[in-house]
Amino acid sequence: MNAIDTAIRAAASAIMLDKVSKSYDGTTEVIPPLDAELRAGEFTVVLGPSGCGKSTLMQMIAGLERVSGGTISFGTRQVQDLEPKQRGCAMVFQNYALYPHMSVFDNIAYSLKVAGMPKPERVERVEAVAKMLGLFDLLARKPGQLSGGQRQRVAIGRAIVREPGVLLFDEPLSNLDAQLRHDMRMELAELHRRIGATTVFVTHDQVEAMTLADRILILNKGRIEQFDTPKTIYHQPASVFVAKFIGAPPMNIVPVTGNGKVLRLADGQVMAECPVFGAYQLGIRPEDILLGGGPIKANLRYREDLGSHTILAADLGGNVLRIATPFGADIGTEAHLSLTFPPARLHLFDAETGRVVPGAFSQ
Amino acid sequence: MSSPTQALFANRWLPVLLVTPLALLIVIFFYVPIFQAFYWSFFLERPFGGGSIFVGWANFARVLSDPQFWEAGKRTVIFMVIGSSLAVLVPLILAVAADRQLRLSQPARNVLVWPKGVAGASIGVIFAFIFNPFAGILSPLNQWFPGIWAPGIDGTDAFIMLIAAHVWSGIPFNFVILLAGLQSLPRTMHQAAAMDGAGAWRRIFDVQLPLIMPQVFLTLVLEFTESVTSAFALVDTMTKGGPGGSTNLLVYKIYVDGFNGYDLSGAATQTAILMVFVVLLTGAQFAFLGRRINYER
Repeated sequence: MNAIDTAIRAAASAIMLDKVSKSYDGTTEVIPPLDAELRAGEFTVVLGPSGCGKSTLMQMIAGLERVSGGTISFGTRQVQDLEPKQRGCAMVFQNYALYPHMSVFDNIAYSLKVAGMPKPERVERVEAVAKMLGLFDLLARKPGQLSGGQRQRVAIGRAIVREPGVLLFDEPLSNLDAQLRHDMRMELAELHRRIGATTVFVTHDQVEAMTLADRILILNKGRIEQFDTPKTIYHQPASVFVAKFIGAPPMNIVPVTGNGKVLRLADGQVMAECPVFGAYQLGIRPEDILLGGGPIKANLRYREDLGSHTILAADLGGNVLRIATPFGADIGTEAHLSLTFPPARLHLFDAETGRVVPGAFSQ
Repeated sequence: MSSPTQALFANRWLPVLLVTPLALLIVIFFYVPIFQAFYWSFFLERPFGGGSIFVGWANFARVLSDPQFWEAGKRTVIFMVIGSSLAVLVPLILAVAADRQLRLSQPARNVLVWPKGVAGASIGVIFAFIFNPFAGILSPLNQWFPGIWAPGIDGTDAFIMLIAAHVWSGIPFNFVILLAGLQSLPRTMHQAAAMDGAGAWRRIFDVQLPLIMPQVFLTLVLEFTESVTSAFALVDTMTKGGPGGSTNLLVYKIYVDGFNGYDLSGAATQTAILMVFVVLLTGAQFAFLGRRINYER
């Protein structure tokens, strides 16, 4: 661990969002009042579909957009009215936004230069960061002479060289190809472990969210759907939206009706026992469905062999049901599937609000 | 390699047909006269036509030993350097302001383009009136300090007037080019610089200007070459080269020598020299400036 790591770890500050809201025209709210606490040193991924307000939220944290209401605090300091440079946060942009006319060194050193840091100190800091990111041999190059991954690293270097209290990433991996994205994900996770900066990472990619985050904040139309650890979000989704958004293939959701004893599909087939009345949505993950000899009948329509496992698409009373079978499982060739839905793996959601009904299957 | 432009035209004669009118215009009204000028510069031409004598380099020797030619050349260079620099600098300032979404920048963008539609000679007439020492906007100056603004008598004043008109006429085109350059910069570039702590002024010099150097260079090259030739209309309408030859630029001198003085050979020779000068100048600009601003976005 070198000086930079220590300094960043020490500077890391919690982010408190208190009734933060954003509206561009004063009537439609892009982000209705929103509360969240991002802990110091934590890697928070803000996840959501495009247009959910996640970039706006990040820009408000960065100071590139004004808040329409509420307060943002870094540690004990309220920052919502401060300029970006006064907030002590740094940002990595989706297209990196490197200065094409400056060398890698100057790109990384620019913020220090603007801050008026003396040259010897500047050189020392930039070199330390460059070494950490494997950019030392590239310092004299221009961004145009770098590969995508190298540019990405320069953008990260430019962000961390200032030892920011808060490090922001705006979909930084979406411009990379699949292989590089995977590598950069690993590098980012490693970097975070080393420097421990409070990190906010915006993405629409659930894999990035699941692999990088300490906690995931799932945003839908500006509202927080769920803010929890990847594990909890995966296994205990708080809403249909979260359940459908996380997992590949996503959780199966079928509309059911409860009669106080069992849940039935529209065609009358019994799905599970549950003492509720009325319309609900029943969820089960594709990998939680057991094949062979179960009470639930479905017709196989399509199968995708992915090597490590096979995805089956079946028709369950007019709903598409996806089933992920483990490697080597005997699927057979018949068109009629007999399935088991283990009660412990079922999720019940309110049909209207989409929120989870807690404890529905825990008898 | 099949480029998309090749695939665009199925008929191979269509592109030729489309290019022909423009090519003809350029050849007939540019290359032929220029070639003629070079050709005539080696002949002694009769003022009213009818026979000419090959004289080799004699015309060049005569022109180059004429102090008036050098005077006009010097004035042309001064006009070119000051006029072109200002004709790029002023639109640059306006473009940066318009790009910053300041109040009224939207209408300003339109208004600033209008002079593009005004012919050089009209600009000359208008500016001659604007700068008229008795009736123009600077005439009050003369009331307080008699004789301070006298473009009809003072050569420097006349030169300033000429440059002002030239800069004004250059604003629209250069403004459009520079503004387009500024607006092509990605928004995140500004945001990144803002995150790096650079204020609006600092961003102009550290980020915006270096990144629109290709556009600045383009306008500068065009201005340099254009200021040499297009000043004619201004000189002709505003000063007629006066007072005392103080605004007699080379391009105007050529006209007067050729069509008033009937020294056709001398005019052709000066045209040839001017042409070579412009070509060399442009080449030098590309060689020295162009290399320094090449970078990959």
